[in-house]
Amino acid sequence: MSSSRLRTRKPTPEAVESADAAERRARKGARSSRVSVESRYRSWLSHHGAMARDSARRLLVTPIASLLTMLAIAIALTLPAALWLALDSARLLDNELNDSAQLTLYLDTSVSEGRALDLADRLRDEQGIGGVRLITAAEGMEEFAQALDLKRSLSLLDNNPLPASIMITPVDTTPESVHQLATRLESEPGVESARLDLAWLERLRQLGELGQKVTLGLAVLFGLGVLLVVGNTIRLSVESRRQEIEVVTLIGATHAFVRRPFLYSGAWYGLGGGLLACGILALGGSWLAAPVTGLVQSYGGNYVLPSLGLSGGAALLFSSTILGWVGAWFAVGRHLASISPR
Amino acid sequence: MIAFEHVGKRYGGRFDALAGLDFTVERGEMAFLTGHSGAGKSSLLKLIMLLERPSRGRILVAGHDIGRLHVSQVPYYRRQIGVVFQDHQLLSDRNIFHNVALPLMIQGVTPREQARRVRAALDKVGLLHREKALPVELSGGEQQRVGIARAVVNKPALLLADEPTGNLDPALSADIMRLFEDFNRIGTTVMIASHDLALIAGLHHRTLELADGRLIADKDAR
Ligand SMILES: Nc1ncnc2c1ncn2[C@@H]1O[C@H](COP(=O)(O)OP(=O)(O)O)[C@@H](O)[C@H]1O
Ligand SMILES: [Mg+2]
Repeated sequence: MSSSRLRTRKPTPEAVESADAAERRARKGARSSRVSVESRYRSWLSHHGAMARDSARRLLVTPIASLLTMLAIAIALTLPAALWLALDSARLLDNELNDSAQLTLYLDTSVSEGRALDLADRLRDEQGIGGVRLITAAEGMEEFAQALDLKRSLSLLDNNPLPASIMITPVDTTPESVHQLATRLESEPGVESARLDLAWLERLRQLGELGQKVTLGLAVLFGLGVLLVVGNTIRLSVESRRQEIEVVTLIGATHAFVRRPFLYSGAWYGLGGGLLACGILALGGSWLAAPVTGLVQSYGGNYVLPSLGLSGGAALLFSSTILGWVGAWFAVGRHLASISPR
Repeated sequence: MIAFEHVGKRYGGRFDALAGLDFTVERGEMAFLTGHSGAGKSSLLKLIMLLERPSRGRILVAGHDIGRLHVSQVPYYRRQIGVVFQDHQLLSDRNIFHNVALPLMIQGVTPREQARRVRAALDKVGLLHREKALPVELSGGEQQRVGIARAVVNKPALLLADEPTGNLDPALSADIMRLFEDFNRIGTTVMIASHDLALIAGLHHRTLELADGRLIADKDAR
């Protein structure tokens, strides 16, 4: 049937024209083309759109497998994100603690109440000191007795053995400057000793720093994990589309063209994983909210369990999408080298 | 259109698949490449398509030394050559229309222009009515014609075919060859590798014969 049809088919004028055009094109050199820049740009854009849709469609064709990949990504993202949130809220707590950093100056017992008042007034004007509160020996005794309910037995003492003290609230609450302030004030005449309860604060800060480093390390490790998960998934899909890649490479596809659908797949995996991670974090947050709030309230604190918030969520989605894209890029890059001819 | 100058191709550093090739194919010419299996026909076509690089000598296509093309330019070079494979290499997950449109999509031709050119190419191979079919729904001869439509949709100046009738019976093979002659008649340079001597003999075109990688005969049968 087809043979007679083909035999009688005459070359069309359009085809003649086109062969000439093709020759002219070939003469102009390998890079030239009749396709205008503008229409090329438009179809480049539309190809991006088409590839984004096509790769999304491909993910939906195998929903379970895609979901599993996204879950693996989500789990890898959740741990560092949760740690980061916890640390962030610890930093808030830390600031609050800083504000309560106080220095206590114990005066010599020989210092009279008048001189103690003078000293307190002078300190009030000094730089680096935010607040000053004088506790006279008598007031000290009062507080002490009240706290210990020892009024009676203490009243038996002839004279007050307690020193007067001055509570100092420093302006700059970093450990170093509080330390400096303490050493300086200790050398003031009449001051017996300066006590600051910063050791535990410092320890907390160091713990925080450790936590930060651990989080960063984990984020890097788990980020690599995401790259590997995406890379491996994309590697399999490159493998399954090997023939297609070979064919389009043979008929003039650039590496960018070949890579594009896989990059979009990677980005979709990343985005999906990021969304799932946001969901897990939100669920985990609401699950932990009641016990944590209860616990903190029992210590008289008011601590709100941290949540990602809009910007945190956006940052998580953005980085997971980028991770997916990069993972795909590496996977396809490695494979392109093995598939394409030298 | 094609000029080989002292071209040699050595695989794996020891084995000469092609050696001392010197010939030219003029613009608008149609030439067959014959020889026993393993003679080097596919290797020769691969050199033209830049799927392999020659170990010796140089190859000019349309006046350009293709050995000097940068890797990044290779895709743009390939777009000017239509290639037909023995096993047609159609993509099974998309229909005939989209298979033929592939080269145009790669080049960033607008969808409307794609549709126009794909239909023109399918019309030329007599398969316009099957544009919605999947490759598996076509016969071997029809699949090969789709492969040809894909090779010419881009209006290439040069059409290469490696054993395009290798899997077809004689009647269908003759059909396919006539199709190539049609394209040659409108100015396309055509080079076809085939070991089907009976088929080639009846067509009266120039025939280059390879044996063990060397050109042993160059007969102009016109
Ligand atoms: N990639 C390769 N690596 C090593 N040897 C090859 C390769 N491709 C082809 N050859 C060898 O080169 C010779 C020519 O092969 P080919 O060009 O395919 O011949 P033909 O197409 O004429 O049958 C054969 O001996 C083949 O084994
Ligand atoms: Mg061969």
